[in-house]
Amino acid sequence: MDQTRPIRVLLAKPGLDGHDRGVIVVAMALRDAGMEVIYTGRHQSAEQIAEAAIQEDVDVVGLSSLADAHGVVVPKIIRLLRQKGGGNIPVVLGGFIQPEDVPSLKEAGVAGVFGIGSKLDDIVAFIRGIGKTGAASQKR
Amino acid sequence: MESKEELNRIRSAQTEWEKENAAEFQKERKKEFFTHSGFPAKRIYTPVDLEEKGFDYLKDLGFPGDYPYTRGVNPSMYRRFIWGMAKYTGFPTPEESNKFWRSQVAAGQNILSIAYDLPTQLGYDPDHPLAEGEVGRVGISMCSLRDWETALSGIDLSKVLVNQVMNAAGAVGIASHIAMAEKQGVDLARLRGTCQNDIIKEYTARGNYVYPPKHALRLVCDALHYCGERMPSYRPLEVCGQHLGEKGATPLHEAAHCLANAFTYLQSAVDRGVDIDTVAPGLNFFTGIRHTGFFEEIAKHRAIRRVYARVLKEKFGAKNPRSLICRLVPAQGGIELHREQYLNNIARIAICAVEASLSGVQAMALASYDEQFGIPTVEANINTIRCQQIVAYETGIPDVVDPLAGSYFVEWLTSEFEEGIMKELANVERIGGVLKGIEQGYFQRKYAEDAYRWQKAFEKGEMMRVGVNCFREEEESRPVRVYRCDPNIEERRVAEVKELRRSRDNGRVKQALEEIKKRASADSGVDNNLMPPIIEAVKAYATTGEICDVLRGVWGEYEEHQII
Repeated sequence: MDQTRPIRVLLAKPGLDGHDRGVIVVAMALRDAGMEVIYTGRHQSAEQIAEAAIQEDVDVVGLSSLADAHGVVVPKIIRLLRQKGGGNIPVVLGGFIQPEDVPSLKEAGVAGVFGIGSKLDDIVAFIRGIGKTGAASQKR
Repeated sequence: MESKEELNRIRSAQTEWEKENAAEFQKERKKEFFTHSGFPAKRIYTPVDLEEKGFDYLKDLGFPGDYPYTRGVNPSMYRRFIWGMAKYTGFPTPEESNKFWRSQVAAGQNILSIAYDLPTQLGYDPDHPLAEGEVGRVGISMCSLRDWETALSGIDLSKVLVNQVMNAAGAVGIASHIAMAEKQGVDLARLRGTCQNDIIKEYTARGNYVYPPKHALRLVCDALHYCGERMPSYRPLEVCGQHLGEKGATPLHEAAHCLANAFTYLQSAVDRGVDIDTVAPGLNFFTGIRHTGFFEEIAKHRAIRRVYARVLKEKFGAKNPRSLICRLVPAQGGIELHREQYLNNIARIAICAVEASLSGVQAMALASYDEQFGIPTVEANINTIRCQQIVAYETGIPDVVDPLAGSYFVEWLTSEFEEGIMKELANVERIGGVLKGIEQGYFQRKYAEDAYRWQKAFEKGEMMRVGVNCFREEEESRPVRVYRCDPNIEERRVAEVKELRRSRDNGRVKQALEEIKKRASADSGVDNNLMPPIIEAVKAYATTGEICDVLRGVWGEYEEHQII
């Protein structure tokens, strides 16, 4: 695969949560940083998101959750990714995340959690880091 | 107004003053100052600025309760009644919410603003696969009249005004409110209440849509028409600017698009053959309010009232004065509240209460200091009501109607807002109207750009937020109590809805749902209103999910336009 391919990121809104200001702003920042962003839009099921990540051959999956459903849906997406052969795609979560939820989310396989107040520069740097060195790039 | 000679004298005196103080002005904190919407904030304003706007006291202001209602929608405003105090709340179950709402009513809150969980808002019952993990998470799970009976038990609907933040399933919310009021023996002609029911902004901003816009708009018109003919004190539509602001829209974009959406509903009802004076009194305006633009928010609210009255009179030809008045209910969202040094949020809430009272609003729904940690706790909710009560009863602000009228700055900014709104309304018309704008992503793109600009300015520190990007503290504290939804509630709610389906008269439910299907399949029109069969279905204990599923089956579901 092309060595100079930009990092491809799938951004998704799992579940019924409609708040997409954050994910759209993050998408704009990732694009400005030269990455390729595919945004699923809202109201996506875990299955749809895992499927899209594999289909689009992305390096990173970014999930946005502001309605407290991440405890159920995020581990489910990671499980499905593993089942479908995308277990090497790192998953990053952003949004309204209670600090006490972070350890169990990490245990479930989330690579990074960006709660409210996170800075765009930090998100961009983190995704660039895992997108380049993550398992997904090994197939290139 | 000052005479020409007087204005000329002011002009030359100002030039003189500017010359004398030129060195001083060089040392100002910034070269130029702007409001959030991008209006210039000049050093001073004088009668000359008003003259340049063509400001005319009688034409542009008049008196409170008089056209164009810039100074307020009734003559004595808070000298007679203090504004309504609302609080957007909902705990996961009908039982828990009932206990809490009763305590809020006892604390002096006279408007209950129901916060539903996402499955209820999107018309999915707790046992629907898409509701998994979402039941009760962000508000009350309330999917049938039986839940209403529990949640509103002991709350007198003839005294307490219920507001519902229900949009895609707004018609079901209104039907439930009607059925509940009838059960309590409240005369519908006197029932006071509101339902947000503003589906347009779900497409442009908030995301809780179900059906394609055309069909959803039909449902809103049905509610407007039905309630307009029978329930003069009920507002079946609360056009919402606040969600546009939370999505990123500047106060100007928020005001202009909120009005554009209102006019779209009204035009749609008129096109169907309903008289404007039947439907227009059914509107409330749920605007945004931020502590970050004190005068800008006041000017915005005054301008919204003026533009609305002018358009309703001149364009829609409304005759009834009740059609011309824009009833404002500003709401504060979470975007300008912070986790860092969270008690500082109390100041931000109180400032919004001051702004809203100086704007002459009918009610306000402000946020809580712990909003950034989860569903607000009981203490935080009470504190928000107390902030409003302090402004109402301790400051003296309510004693004079529209006390900022005549401020050179406030009047200039109000006129500036009006011009900006008119210009943006023309832009929306140019692209073919609001529904075309949704299809093209016009609004969504605008808010995304506004939000991105805001975020960058905030991160660069150009926009200062105390305790967040300046005046920070090493150690951050966290509220003693943070509310978390008990995950076991989902299972209980699933069992309850299953039990309901077993115990009701399913023959009656089936018949009611079939009638909904029949009417939804036929063309919309004055003689084919969906409200009566929806009310019948609710009374038969059909669930919100079942009613919405019927409509989904006929109309399909909306797929959003992607802007990125």
